[in-house]
Amino acid sequence: MKNFQQNLQKLEAADTQVLGVSMDSPFANKAFADQIGVTFPLLSDWGGEVTRQYGLYVDKYKAARRVNFLIGKDGKILEEQIDSEAIDPTKIVTACERHKLKN
Amino acid sequence: MRRSVRIQIVTGLLLGGLLPAFVANQASGQSKAPEPLKLRVGDDAPDFTLQYFDGSDRKDVHLSDYRGKKNVVLAFYIFAFTGG
Repeated sequence: MKNFQQNLQKLEAADTQVLGVSMDSPFANKAFADQIGVTFPLLSDWGGEVTRQYGLYVDKYKAARRVNFLIGKDGKILEEQIDSEAIDPTKIVTACERHKLKN
Repeated sequence: MRRSVRIQIVTGLLLGGLLPAFVANQASGQSKAPEPLKLRVGDDAPDFTLQYFDGSDRKDVHLSDYRGKKNVVLAFYIFAFTGG
């Protein structure tokens, strides 16, 4: 999440809202956000309904896979970064800037 | 003579066929593609309502809030207080 925070200005400049999602409670997520200096919302999928709906629930860990989606203004998925690829958000940041140029 | 030809053939097979296959296998092992997701690029992202705590209140967020207004990065992570 820190990596998105570091790129937040670029993403906001490209009309992009960043939302973190995990199966932690809203309070744990707030404490986590404060600890690492994240200013965008960290959403709580307590129970994992949305994580399952997105097909990301991993039984073994009782948690989500590490995945970033870039969703366009039309609600369609524009980019995906999966598992270890998702640590470095450069691909998504670049894609946002590219889509901004197109619009 | 015949034996050296055979050695050459075997060496040729190793270098020409097996070795590159082995190297390719090793390389693909290092950059193994992750298992694909149920949702693919081009699919509609399912709408949701989730909450976060802003320090004083719980706030609802709907993905549809951003429809027609902003792109959204949805970053699923495994647990709070872990890296990534």
